[in-house]
Formats: sequence, structure tokens, C-alpha cells
Amino acid sequence: MRLRLSALASVALASVALASVALTPFALSSQFLVNLATLTAFSAFIGQAWNISGGFGGLTSFGHAAYFGVGAYVAALITTRTGLSPWLAFPAAACLGAATGGVIGFASFRAGLRGSYFALVTLAFAEAFRVIANSAGFTSGGLGIHLPLRPGIAALQFQDRRLSYALVLALLGLATAIALQLRRGRFGARLIALRENEDAARALGIDVVRVKTTALALSGALTALGGVVYAQTYLYIDPGIAFGTERSVEMLLVCMIGGAGTVLGPILGAILLHAIADTARLWIDLPGVAPMLYGVVLLIAVWLLPGGVVALRTRLDRG
Amino acid sequence: MTAPTILTRRTAIVAGAAAGLAMPFIARAQPAAIKLGLIHPVTGAVAAAGNRCRFAGQMAVTDINAAGGIKSMGGARIDPLLGDAQGRPEIAVSLVDQMAEAGALGFTGCFASAIGLAATQAAAKYNIPFCIDSGITDAMTTRGLKNVYRLFPNATSTTTDALAALDQINKKAGSPAKTAVIVHEDSEFGTSSAKLQAAALPGIGITVKELIPHATPTRDFTNIVLRIKQAAPDIVVITNYENEYVLLARTLVQQRVPLVATFSIAGGGFNLKFAKEAPTVVENMMDFNHWYNPKDPRALGFRKRIEDAGQVFTWEYLFGYFAVRLMADAWERAGSADKDKTIAALAESTFSDHWLPYGPTKFTNGQNSGCHAVALQFQNADMKVIWPDAFADAPAVYPRPKV
Repeated sequence: MRLRLSALASVALASVALASVALTPFALSSQFLVNLATLTAFSAFIGQAWNISGGFGGLTSFGHAAYFGVGAYVAALITTRTGLSPWLAFPAAACLGAATGGVIGFASFRAGLRGSYFALVTLAFAEAFRVIANSAGFTSGGLGIHLPLRPGIAALQFQDRRLSYALVLALLGLATAIALQLRRGRFGARLIALRENEDAARALGIDVVRVKTTALALSGALTALGGVVYAQTYLYIDPGIAFGTERSVEMLLVCMIGGAGTVLGPILGAILLHAIADTARLWIDLPGVAPMLYGVVLLIAVWLLPGGVVALRTRLDRG
Repeated sequence: MTAPTILTRRTAIVAGAAAGLAMPFIARAQPAAIKLGLIHPVTGAVAAAGNRCRFAGQMAVTDINAAGGIKSMGGARIDPLLGDAQGRPEIAVSLVDQMAEAGALGFTGCFASAIGLAATQAAAKYNIPFCIDSGITDAMTTRGLKNVYRLFPNATSTTTDALAALDQINKKAGSPAKTAVIVHEDSEFGTSSAKLQAAALPGIGITVKELIPHATPTRDFTNIVLRIKQAAPDIVVITNYENEYVLLARTLVQQRVPLVATFSIAGGGFNLKFAKEAPTVVENMMDFNHWYNPKDPRALGFRKRIEDAGQVFTWEYLFGYFAVRLMADAWERAGSADKDKTIAALAESTFSDHWLPYGPTKFTNGQNSGCHAVALQFQNADMKVIWPDAFADAPAVYPRPKV
């Protein structure tokens, strides 16, 4: 009983601390700091989206940029070609992101791909998407797409960065709520069972292909929402920005550092990585320091904390 | 014989106190420094070029400050704020926010179009004037942003002028080039140029046999060169960044592709470093690019300063340097660093204190309409202007002599 109360108190304390951190940017007048908070929340969001399939399901993907790019291009095309409200890009991107994840997942899992083979296939899909976007007419090829500058909430372009932050925070909240549900729900239990021992899970009657494909579709849908936010914020995308491996690595990295397969992992990973990168940028006037520190942190995390920052508490508890 | 002046302790204390009391007034007489943000990708895929723009921008700041600062503002000095965009638009936006809050009253940058597009619209939120040093896309100045000014040519005018140059050089030699293959890098810069080239080359009597895009970075051009060899064009038109340009040129020579000429438009690797490292590869290669006016002695002095600093001179130095000079000229004309006044001064600018092959600036919607690039050729491992005649310091060697 005492243990349960202690655990509850820890969760409550962590929730209050996180909520305070999350709400602080609304009280800031500095657009720069709000933008840093937005970038951090954005990394945490796309990391959490990756975490749903990659962390909870163990479906290590190196190609989540495919879904991000689909979302970005959906937003760009809706805005520039249809004249419809850019807000419609959210449901459209979620559907197409889910469909992309579903197709990639179904094709891969039906073929029995897992582990590094699955990782390489996802990388190949993202690269194929980049090549298609580079050569297809409707994406304007390598020219990319410029979204028209029309500041206003109706055009999903916010003058006040706090509104951008609120949007990203809402998306992070959604992804985190889904992650929490996975921790507690039946679907999540099946997914985690698959990650731990796929053969045993299959023997228990779990439809492996269906569960994994659903997880990837869900993850793809969320990641595509990130693409919409990116396109509407920076108003320019090209195949490299949309489908480049850098974005996939970013998602993977925040989860690896924070703790893949945990609810708080991507959030802590994003905070830690952005704190390092931005502090380095602010205080050390030496080009390349931020990527170097990224590398050092990753090495330390892999070496000392294979379970990520989240696992630190468990290790400390064990002494 | 005059007795030596002895500084007694009392005199020293009195003098010190007087100086101490006077200091605030002296300090008050100094106009506040004007903060100028220089945003470039100094790490990442295009770091080499970004570093050159930054180096020249800092050099311009040093020159302006050494010459007495902004005279119409009582000799206000320029205080440069340096930012590394890392080749990522979101970092560039973050830098704009950071520098705007640190008091930046102007920006120059950002070498690559994708970074410049994001940074300029972020600066527009603060109404801070932005002088583009490089970033060729037309969209930079066609989005209706009032704060963005580009001294240098855009993609459309560069390509149009380049093809006019190629047409004149080709016709003067009896039109030996009738077919072409276009090799371009596959981002905004290369694709926009290649698209314009493919549409315009038939208009000057050159049929485009193939367009070959490649990624940045690409480290092996063997397959691309084999495709070129198979297409057997008279000329190869190249548009890409430095490393890929060098590797492609080397591979064309290694594979012994017979060509009338290699012609590039803003070829990233068409520079003196390449000429120094591989003089036989570069000989007679042609490029249409940004350069100085070789007939202006100040230009040669500028090049020597860059070379004396241990750098190899490239056009990025001109861009980085004159973007800052243009901004300083606007502050000088405005007599103020007020954002609205500076933007108005830029719009009406007739900046002519430069050694570029242009006349005074004339901005139309932020784009200098009087600017032009020139045709260049490597001759004896040096770079010569071969077109237009008004700025040429050597005749064109065309077609390329057979080896």
C-alpha cells in the first residue's frame, strides 16, 4: 500500500513538474525562448509518434521521414493547389500517413521482416519517397513548394509564436495520451508482448501482422501531423527537407536518449537534446559543437543508460 | 634645458578623478553600435561556402568600422552577431528570433535558398531589413516581403543571361555546339536552374538530350558520366555545389568524354582552388557566374586581401562582403538604423561604391534589376572574364582544343 502511494506521489509530482515546464512558455515574452520551447515540443511530439511503433512495438524504423514528408506535402498541396483551408491538412495528412504506414507495415510484416531488415526497408521507403518527390510534377520536383505567406489563424500561420507552441503542445498531448493508453490498454499489451517475444505472442493467438500494421499506421498518422505543422510554419518544403534521413534520425534519437517504449522517454530525450544543442549554440561560439555534443550524449546514453534517461531512476533505486 | 615633467601622486589623483568624471560624457558622445546579424550555414553540407560568406561579411564590418563607421550616424560602429544555421531552416528562424531580441537591426545571409526563405520571413515579423548574400531562388523577393533586398542576380536573370552568353560565344565560333546534357543537383537551386535551361536551350539552337539530377552529396559520378558518354552531347551544362562539381569535372576528364565545352551556371566548384589543385582538369572549362569587374583595380586589391588571408578567392566573398556594404550604405543614406527608414533607404538605394560588374543598384520589389553575372573561363589555371566584352579581360577559347 505504501509502495502504491509512493508511486502515485511520484507520478503526480512528475505530472505537476512537466505541466509547469510545458506551460512556462506561455508566460514568456521572448519569441526566441518560445520558439526553442516549440522546437523542443515538436521533437518530443515526432519522437512520441515514432515511439508508438518503434518503442512500444519494437518496430525500429529508420524511415519515419516518409510519413513526415507525406504530411508536409499534403499541407503544401492543399494550401497551394486546392485553395481549401490549411486546417483540413490535419485530417487529410493523418489519413494518408496512416495509409502509408499501413501499406509499408503490411508489405513488410507479411513478408516476415523484422529487426534490422525492417529498419532497412523503412529507410528504403523513405528514400523512394524522396526520389519520387524529386521527380514528380505534382510535387514540383526538386524545386520544392513555397507556401504563400498569409499570416492568420485561418491560414494556420501564427504571428505569435505562443500559438504555434500551443498547437505543438496539443499534438504532443495527443501523442502522449495515445502512448499512455498503449501502456494500459489491451492493444498496447499485445504490442508490447510482440516486442518482447513475437513467437510467444503468436502462440497466444495475437494476430502479429494486424497489430504491428495498426501500430505503424497509428504512428504514421501522428508523424504526418508533424509534417503539416512543419510545412505551415516554415512555408517551404523540398524533397530533402520532407523525406531526408535527418528527420528520421531526430525521432529515433530523442527516444533512444530519453527511453524508447516509455511514455516520458521522448519528452525527456527532446528536452535533454535541445537543452544541449541550444546551450551549446548560445554559449559556445564554435561551429559544429552542437552535433558533436549530440554524438557524445548518444554514446554516453548507449554506454551507460541503454534504457534511456527514464531508466536512470530505476538504476538509482536499485543502488 | 627643460626640466623633466614629474607626475606627482597628487597630480595623478586629480587627473584620474577628472577623467573618471568626464568618462560618462565621452561615452555618451559615442553613438550606439548597430547590431547586424550574419546568418550562414557554417556547418553541414554547404559549410564551406557558408564560411566564405561569413568571412567576407566580417571583413566588410571591419572595413566599415575602420573607415569611421556609419558617418551619418556620428560614426556608429557595426557590431556583428554570428549565427550558424547548420543548413536547417528551423535553426535559421531560431537565430533570427535570438538576434532580433539581442537588438539586431539588420541581417545578411544565408547562402542557401531554403535557409534564406525561412530566415527572411522570420525577420519580416520584426520588420528587420534583410540583405540576401546568396540564395538564388526568385521566390526570395517575390513573396511580398518588404524587408528583403538582393543585390545579386536571381535564378531567372542568371539563367537568361547565361544562355545569352553561351549563344553569343557559340555563334561567334560558328555554332559547334548543337546538343547538350544538363547535370544538376536536385534541390531548389539546381532544379530551378535546370528547368529554365532546358526550356531555353532549344531557343538558341541547342537540343537538350537529357536532364540528369543528382543528390547532394554524391561522391561517385561514374554512372552519370557513362550516361553522358552514351548521350554524346556537344556540351555538358552543370549546375551543382562545390564538391559535386569537382568530382563530376574530374570524372568527365578521367572517362575522356569528348566535348566542345563544359559550361556551368553558378557552378559551385568553378573556383581558383579547383584550378590550383587540378589545372589540367579545369583548363578551358566555362562558367557563368558572379565575379568582380577585372577592370576595376579595387577588385584586384580585394582579391589579394582574401588571398593574403590564406583563402582561395571565390564569388561567395563578393556576396558576403557586399551584402554587408549594401546594408551599411542604407544606414548611411537613412542617417538612422530605424527599421522603416532603413527599408525605405534600401528601396531607393543607388549603391555604386562596389567593384562588381554592375552599375548602381535599382531595386524592383527587393531585387536589384541592374545586376548581371559574367561568363568566365579557366585559362592557364586562372579565371578570366570572357563575356560581356565591357568587362572581359581575355577572349574565349571555344571550342575547347582537342587533347
